[in-house]
Amino acid sequence: MAVSRKDFEEQVLGLLGSLQGVARRLTRNDADAEDLVAETVARAWRALDSLASETAFRAWIFRILNNTFISDLRRADARPRLDSIECEDEDAEGGEFSIFEQMHQPFLLWFSNPEQEFLNKLLREDLDRALVALPDCYRVVVILSDLEEFSYPEIAATLEIPIGTVRSRLARARSALQKALWQQAQAYGLTNAVAARSECAPLETEAQQRGATARLARGDKGSVQ
Amino acid sequence: MTKQQIDCELALRQILDYVDHELGDHDHSLMEQHLRTCKSCFSRMEFEQRLKRKVGELREDEVTSPLSERIKGLLKSF
Repeated sequence: MAVSRKDFEEQVLGLLGSLQGVARRLTRNDADAEDLVAETVARAWRALDSLASETAFRAWIFRILNNTFISDLRRADARPRLDSIECEDEDAEGGEFSIFEQMHQPFLLWFSNPEQEFLNKLLREDLDRALVALPDCYRVVVILSDLEEFSYPEIAATLEIPIGTVRSRLARARSALQKALWQQAQAYGLTNAVAARSECAPLETEAQQRGATARLARGDKGSVQ
Repeated sequence: MTKQQIDCELALRQILDYVDHELGDHDHSLMEQHLRTCKSCFSRMEFEQRLKRKVGELREDEVTSPLSERIKGLLKSF
């Protein structure tokens, strides 16, 4: 056994907040999240012999959480949610969406920054809504990487997938997240407002104007076109 | 020895690995060197980094009291 009973208790209690937070985001329901965490802890205790080392505890218990969540869905025959768990990892190329590429205007770079302004206006609720709307297989990698700060090897160990798949799944998950945020922003008219303000943004000082003219004259060396 | 450099195409391919701190030392330093000289890639990296941070702010780690009691009870029963 890689950990003692006392260490198991300490590890579980230390991770309880994270376990509950992730469970909430998976189940989208507080009561189901509590049941999922309790079932996870019970299963983890029964499977303690499968823990290779104490340092692997976090990925190990989150793997049990994720597998318990999936098996609960299977038991409930929750077809739409089960479909959402299956990732089509083969379709790795193409279709990537980037808000930066939609908004970035290299020739306005030195006096206006529409993509940064977009982020400034982004509300917690907007992000929350976009994250909730992601298919489960994408949502879980974003939660583990960006909310729980798991490394790629830890995500790979948790979801039992190769590191290359973690990388491609995260890229597609972030692309889908950005697309959802972009669509929300378009619905609010935010993207047009930001773009319009960027086009109209005046150069504030003569020095800025001279700098802008000089940069235009020599071209934008940083542009990736 | 020729000083190694990376171009924008490679930098953009590695930008998420950079933001996620997943590049090895050598690739990390080549990327930093590129970002110091390429404003466009730097802006892209800055955008992805800020968005990642904003998503990270959604993290909730407050344990509700009923769950805390339930789990403590469960642990005692093992």
